[in-house]
Amino acid sequence: MKKVIASALCVVMATAMFAGCSKDSSKSDSKTINLWAFTDEIPGMADKYKELHPDFAYDFNVTVVATDNGGYQSAIDNALQAGGKDAPDIYAAEAAFVLKYTQGDMAQFAAAYEDLGIDVAGKTKEAEIAPYTIDIGTRPSDGKVVGLGYQATGGAMIYRASIAEDVFGTSDPAEISEIVGGGSGSWDKFFDAAAELRAKGYGIVSGDGDIWHSVENSASYGWVKDGKLQIAPEREAFLELSKELMDNDYHNDTQDWQEGWFADMNGTGSKGIFCFFGPAWLINYTMGENGPDTAGDWRVGVAPVGFFWGGTWVLASKYAAEADDAKKAAIADFISWITLDSSETGLQYLWANGLMNDAGTKDCVASGKVMAISDGSCDFLGGQNMFEYFVPANANASGARLTQYDETINNLFRDQVRQYTSGQKTKEQALDDFKSAVAEATGLEIA
Amino acid sequence: MNNKKSVSYTKYGYIFSIPFVLAFLVFQLYPVLYTVVIGFTDLQGVATTEFHFLKNPLENFIKILSTNGAGSFRLSLRNTILLWGLNFVPQISLALLLTAWFTDTRTTIKGQGLFKVLFYMPNIITAASVAILFGALLSYPQGPLNSLIGSFRGDDYKAINFLANKNFTRFIVAFIQFWMWYGNTMVMLIAGVIGISPEIFEAAEIDGANRRQTFFKVTIPCIRTILLYVLVTSMIGGLNMFDIPKLIADGGPDGATGTTALYIYKQAFSGGYMYNKAAAASIIMFVIIMLLSMLLFYILRDKDEEALKKAIKREKKAANARR
Amino acid sequence: MSEQKLRTKSQDNLILKIIVYIVCIFLSILSIMPFWIMAVNSTRASADVQSHPIAFWFSTHLMDNFKVFEGKTFEPITGFINSAIISVSATILAIYFSCLTAYAVTAYEWKLRDGFFKFIMAVMMIPAQCTMIGFFQMVYKMGMANNLLMLILPSIAAPSMVFFMRQYLQSSLSMEIVQSARIDGAGEFRTFNSIVLPIMKPAIATQAIFTFVGNWNNLFTPMVLLTKADKYTMPIMVSLLRGDIYKTEYGSIYLGVSLTVLPLIVVYLLLSKYIVAGVALGSVKG
Repeated sequence: MKKVIASALCVVMATAMFAGCSKDSSKSDSKTINLWAFTDEIPGMADKYKELHPDFAYDFNVTVVATDNGGYQSAIDNALQAGGKDAPDIYAAEAAFVLKYTQGDMAQFAAAYEDLGIDVAGKTKEAEIAPYTIDIGTRPSDGKVVGLGYQATGGAMIYRASIAEDVFGTSDPAEISEIVGGGSGSWDKFFDAAAELRAKGYGIVSGDGDIWHSVENSASYGWVKDGKLQIAPEREAFLELSKELMDNDYHNDTQDWQEGWFADMNGTGSKGIFCFFGPAWLINYTMGENGPDTAGDWRVGVAPVGFFWGGTWVLASKYAAEADDAKKAAIADFISWITLDSSETGLQYLWANGLMNDAGTKDCVASGKVMAISDGSCDFLGGQNMFEYFVPANANASGARLTQYDETINNLFRDQVRQYTSGQKTKEQALDDFKSAVAEATGLEIA
Repeated sequence: MNNKKSVSYTKYGYIFSIPFVLAFLVFQLYPVLYTVVIGFTDLQGVATTEFHFLKNPLENFIKILSTNGAGSFRLSLRNTILLWGLNFVPQISLALLLTAWFTDTRTTIKGQGLFKVLFYMPNIITAASVAILFGALLSYPQGPLNSLIGSFRGDDYKAINFLANKNFTRFIVAFIQFWMWYGNTMVMLIAGVIGISPEIFEAAEIDGANRRQTFFKVTIPCIRTILLYVLVTSMIGGLNMFDIPKLIADGGPDGATGTTALYIYKQAFSGGYMYNKAAAASIIMFVIIMLLSMLLFYILRDKDEEALKKAIKREKKAANARR
Repeated sequence: MSEQKLRTKSQDNLILKIIVYIVCIFLSILSIMPFWIMAVNSTRASADVQSHPIAFWFSTHLMDNFKVFEGKTFEPITGFINSAIISVSATILAIYFSCLTAYAVTAYEWKLRDGFFKFIMAVMMIPAQCTMIGFFQMVYKMGMANNLLMLILPSIAAPSMVFFMRQYLQSSLSMEIVQSARIDGAGEFRTFNSIVLPIMKPAIATQAIFTFVGNWNNLFTPMVLLTKADKYTMPIMVSLLRGDIYKTEYGSIYLGVSLTVLPLIVVYLLLSKYIVAGVALGSVKG
C-alpha cells in the first residue's frame, strides 16, 4: 500500500509541476495574441497571415472549443469575464449566436474596431462590405462596429440539372428560376413545380428544413419585439408549408445535418431530390464533400424567397484594446486583413477564389469589390460561375430579424412543427406548446 | 490502560475525515452556497454578475412549480420519473438475476468471468459515442433498423422516424440507460456477495435450503448494505439523468425526454440564461432526492443494529442514572 | 425415490444452464457490438460510413482517417497524456481518501460521526448541473483555468464512493482484526494502510474502474476549464472533430472514439481480475 501512496504523491507532484511549468512558459510572452475559435477555420487564416507576413512579430495562441453542448460559449464567456493574460484577444462568433457578443449581454466585452485604430467607415466603404455584416456587427449602445464577417451568406437555390432536364425539359438557370418562381417572394409556383416533380417520382427538397431558412429570413419581424415573443405570419405559415410538403410526399422527410440529408446530396436517398437552398459555403463545404456521385450535375438559380444563412464574425475583446500600441496595431492589422482588405493579397480574395486550401474551395465574401474581381466557376456546378447568382442574393441578407434567442426559439419551433406535420398534434396545440416552451426557456413574455 | 487507549481512538475518526472536509470546503462549498443564494435572486443573463434578492424570496420556486405546460419543470420531473422507472426496474432485476446465477455455489457457470467482464463493457463508452451509434442505427428515412424492418415488410414499407415518436424515444433512452448500467449494478452486487463468508452458504446448503431460498433468505439480507447503496445511487443517478436524453434527442421530441437535469442545464446555459431559475430548480431536486433517499434508508435500515443502539443508549442512561 | 429426485434435480440444472447461457451470450453480443462497429467504422471512408453507418467488416481507409487528424486539433499523444494524468491521479486520490473517510465513519465511535455521514450523503445528492456555474466561475476567478489540478483535487471528496466503501466495510470489516493489530502495536494509520485497505481490494477494484472511466470520459467540465490545445483531453479532441460545422469526417471520428476507448479497455481488463476471480476475503470471518 505504501507503493500506492507513493505513486499517488508522485502523480500529484508531477501534475503540479506540469501545471506550474506551462504557466511559466506562457507568462513571459507578451508577444502572443490569444485567438479563440470554434473551428480550425480562423486559426488556418492566422497561419496563412503569418506565411504572407514573415515579419509579423506576434505568435497566435490558438484556442479551439467545439460548439457541442454550448461548450464554446461557456468557455469564452468565462474567459472574457475572468480577463487576465489568457483572456481572448480575438474571437469568432457564428451567426447563430453572434448577436449575444455584438449586441446582447456579452457585447460589453467587445472592443470597437475604431478603438483598435481601424478606419472602419473608410474601409468598409472602399471594400463595399455587405451592409448586413456591418449591421449585425454594430453595438447598439454606442453605434460602433465591434465585429465583421468575411463571408457573404446570401442564399440561392441549388438544383440538379439532370432532374431539371427530365421534368422541365431544360436545365438553364434563368428558365428554372422562372419555373419555381425565383425571386417572386411567394411559394405558389414552387409548389406547382413540386407537383410536377412528384409526378415523375422526384422530391423537390430533402426536408422541410431546406425551406426553413428562407421562411425564417423573409419574416416581417424577428421572434422578439419589446421583450415579447412575436410569431411573424410568414413563420406561422411554415406550419402549413411543411405540412403540404409532408402530405403530398414532396420530400424525403430528412432533417438537416443528419445522414438522410447528406444522402440526398449524393443522390442516394429514397427518391431523387431536386434542390437544396443555401449560401455558397453550403455548396463547397457540405454538398461538395457529401455528394461525390452528383458532382457536376448541380446548378445555381434564384430562390423563390430570398434569405441568408450562417456566417462567422470576428471580434476583438476589450482586453485587446487595452494592450500596448504595438500589440494593438498587430491585432488591428490581422483583423482588417480578414474583414476589410479588398486587395488581391487580402484574405477575402484568397477565400473567394479558393486559394486558401489545396481543394480550391470557393466561397462568397463580404467585400463587393473582391466579388467583382473574383471568379466563382466551379466543377461541382458543371463550370457555372456561381457568383452570378450569389452576389445579387447577398442583397437579401439582413440582420434586422435576428435576436439573441434565435437558436433556442428556432429549435423549439421546428420541434413543434414536426409534431404537427407528423399528425401528432393540431396546429393550435402545436402553437400553444411552442409558446409555453419559449416562455420557459427564455423568460420572454408571450404576446 | 485499555480504557485510556479506547478513548484516544475517537480522535482518529476526526483526523481521517479531514481530507474529505478540506476538499469539500475548497472546491464545493462556494459553488453550493452560490447556487443556494442565486435561487432566491433575480440573476439572469450571461454576463450579469450583479443580483438582487427578490421581494418575495420564493418567487422563483413558485414560478417553477406553478407552470405545467410544454418545457416546464413539472413535465420534466414526470419524464424523469418515467424514464428512471422504465430503466431501473429491468436493470436491477437483471442485475440481481445475473448475480444469483454467477454467485450460485451449486451450479458453476463456465465462462462466467468472461461474461462479467463483457457485461460491464457498455459502461466504458462515452455517452456521446453511444448516442452516435444509436443515432446511426435508428437513422431515418434510410437506416439499418428501417431497412431491416423493410426487408420483412416488403416494398410498400414506409420508413419510421423513430426519434420523432415520443414513446419510442422514451423507450430507447430508457433502454440505453438500462444497457449501459445493468453491468455496473451487477458488478457492485457481486462485489457485495463476494464479501459474504462462504461458510454461510455452506451452512444454508447443509440446512437444505434450495437455490431460491438461499438467494432470497441468505444472499439478499447479507448484501443489504450494498443493495441500499445501489438503490440510493441509482436513484440519484436516475433523477439526475442528463447525457443520454441530451445527446439522443436533446430532450425531444416535443419534450418527451426532457429530464429535470436537462431543464436545469437549459435554463442556465441557453435561451434566457436564467441562473436563478436553474438554481431554484436544483434546490427543489435536492429536496426531492433527499426525501426519497431518507425513505430508502428507512425501509432498508438495519433493524437489529437499531435495536442494539437503542439498547446501548438505554444502558448508558441507566448507568448515568445509577451514578 | 431419492434417485428420482436427484435426476429431476440434474435435469433442472441442465435447463437452468441452457437458459443462463442463452441470456449471457445474447447480452455479450449486445456488449461487443458497439466496440466492433466502432473499430470497423474507423477503417472505413467517411462517405461510406455516412451512407451505411453500420458495417460488420473492416475496410482499408484507416490511414486516410489518421491523416485527417493532421489538419485538426487532434493529437492522440497529448490527449492521451492529459487524460491519463487526470484520470489516474483523480482515481487514486478518490480511492484512497474515500477509503480513509469510510473507515473513519465505520471503525470509530465519535460524536459527530452520524452527522458527518449524513452530511456526506447530502453532498452526494446535490445535482451537478447547477453547481457547475459556481465552480467554473470560481476556477476562472482564481486564474486556475487550464490547470489540470482543478480536475484532479476535487475528487478527494467523492461522496458516493465514501458511501460505497462504508457499506462495504460494514458488511466485511471485523473489528477483531483491527483490535488484534492494535494489540500488536500497530498505529491507527498503519493499521488502515496495511490491514484495512487490503481487505477492501474487491471494492477498490470496482470503484477504481467506475471512477477511472468517469474521469476519462468526462467532457463538459474539461471542455470549459481547459482551453489550451496542449491541455486537451481525448474526449475534447473528439468533440472538436465532431464540431466541424461544414463537414463531418465520420471515419476519423470513429477512429478518435476508438482511440479514446482503447486505454479504457486496457485498464478495465487489468482491474477486471478482481471482479472475475471473486477474491476470497481470507481475513474476514463472517
